[in-house]
Amino acid sequence: MSVLLSLSNDLAGAVERVRGAVVAVNARPRLPSTGVHWRPGIIVTADHTVRSDEDITIVAADGRTLAASLVGRDPGTDLAVLRVQDTDLPLADLGDPGSLKVGHIVLAVGHGPRASWGVVSALGGRWRTWRGGEIDQLVRLDLTLYPGFSGGPLVDVQGRVVGINTSGLSRQLELAIPVSTMARVADELIDKGHVSRGFLGVGLQPARLPEAFRRRLDGASEIGLIVVNVQPDGPAAKAGLLLGDVLVTLDGAPVGTTEDVQAVVGARRVGSTVTATILRAGAPAEMSITVGERPPRRR
Amino acid sequence: MSGDSETHDIRPGIGGHLTAITARLRRITVQVHGSSASAGSGVIWTSNGLIVTNAHVARGRAGVVLPGGRALEARGLAWDPEHDLAALAIDADGLSAADVGDSDGLRVGDLVVAVGNPLGLTGAVTAGVIHAIGPRRLAGPSFIQADLRLAPGNSGGPLADARGRVIGINAMIAGGLALALPSNVVARFVASLRQGAAPVS
Repeated sequence: MSVLLSLSNDLAGAVERVRGAVVAVNARPRLPSTGVHWRPGIIVTADHTVRSDEDITIVAADGRTLAASLVGRDPGTDLAVLRVQDTDLPLADLGDPGSLKVGHIVLAVGHGPRASWGVVSALGGRWRTWRGGEIDQLVRLDLTLYPGFSGGPLVDVQGRVVGINTSGLSRQLELAIPVSTMARVADELIDKGHVSRGFLGVGLQPARLPEAFRRRLDGASEIGLIVVNVQPDGPAAKAGLLLGDVLVTLDGAPVGTTEDVQAVVGARRVGSTVTATILRAGAPAEMSITVGERPPRRR
Repeated sequence: MSGDSETHDIRPGIGGHLTAITARLRRITVQVHGSSASAGSGVIWTSNGLIVTNAHVARGRAGVVLPGGRALEARGLAWDPEHDLAALAIDADGLSAADVGDSDGLRVGDLVVAVGNPLGLTGAVTAGVIHAIGPRRLAGPSFIQADLRLAPGNSGGPLADARGRVIGINAMIAGGLALALPSNVVARFVASLRQGAAPVS
């Protein structure tokens, strides 16, 4: 048997092994998305494909349509968790995303089954999404995510699920959320219904610091963040931050963009403190802010 | 020369096999120039000159260019509008003909290879996997849907499996997917020619 035929058999075999755990998710008009049966009765899918909180159904591999309820969703990592009563659907066999290498052949699988192939195009470390979610590993794919494929499994040639595919985290790139992140977020969604994220409760605007101000500070920051909004009763308000204060460093790190702030605060445990260096009317000051919990987005 | 050479694995790897399949497919793929100045591909179905292509590429008289470069006039034998298939005949013998496989044996994920003349480039190869099997719509023929990048000009050309057997005729591109007529459907069409029972002669 040629290696080509052997690869073909492996790929067809991988689809056959995973297909039982792949469901279609009907949570938006017209175009179903895909989901993975991860734990008994628990389906993971892509948050951006869940448009309604009610009347969600899933279609199992055997064609049965089942009612599903929304357990929780996290736009930050583009994951959502659904619950179904029927627990005798096959479970996904999970692989280790840490074993992925650039160039590994992978499949994106949809309900049907449907499949698309390609390779792992790039791998990176921990990264933050544009919605403030933290993903353990950047997994970039060179394959086509066909319409409705978001929320479905990224599968290795042995049929193990190593990630959840989504087109919702980047306008141009096909990405996968590694199953390690999926498990962490799904556990928190099952436990609390949402993912806790640290936040300060301020609106910030970057501004170039004048030379006179910079000389007052030890650091070499050229840019600071002017507080243009303080959320009433928010963590920053409670710490005494005022409109017009200029935020210069957080925990010793210079902050020049809101992404810098999220990088420090977003990953912090709720209740921990961050030390902020600010300029108030040109005079430097330090304050301690107790990180609060970002309120869940209301839809 | 050195003792090492005896331990080298001489089985060709994936690249080698793909190259071999491509070479075989090129030998049975022709260029087809239909009356409406559309250019596509065709498959040499029998060694005595039966060419299969898409009806939308050619169904009456057509110009055919063999793999070696020889250009011939083909006459239309019959066509099947429902399946977008056409049979042409050229005056040639001893041609390499397609090794036809069983399209019913295809599975989602199976590797497939297409050879054709996309955008005028002859003998181009592209590889992918079977995306889905079964009807795309409630009515209409069952296409093989492949996760494969085709371009206009691939129409009428062969879709082969990992063994190099022709299991489809590429017909069109839709939604980024390549749609092909299954070889079993083509075989039924070819059989109907012999019985004089083709849909349109």
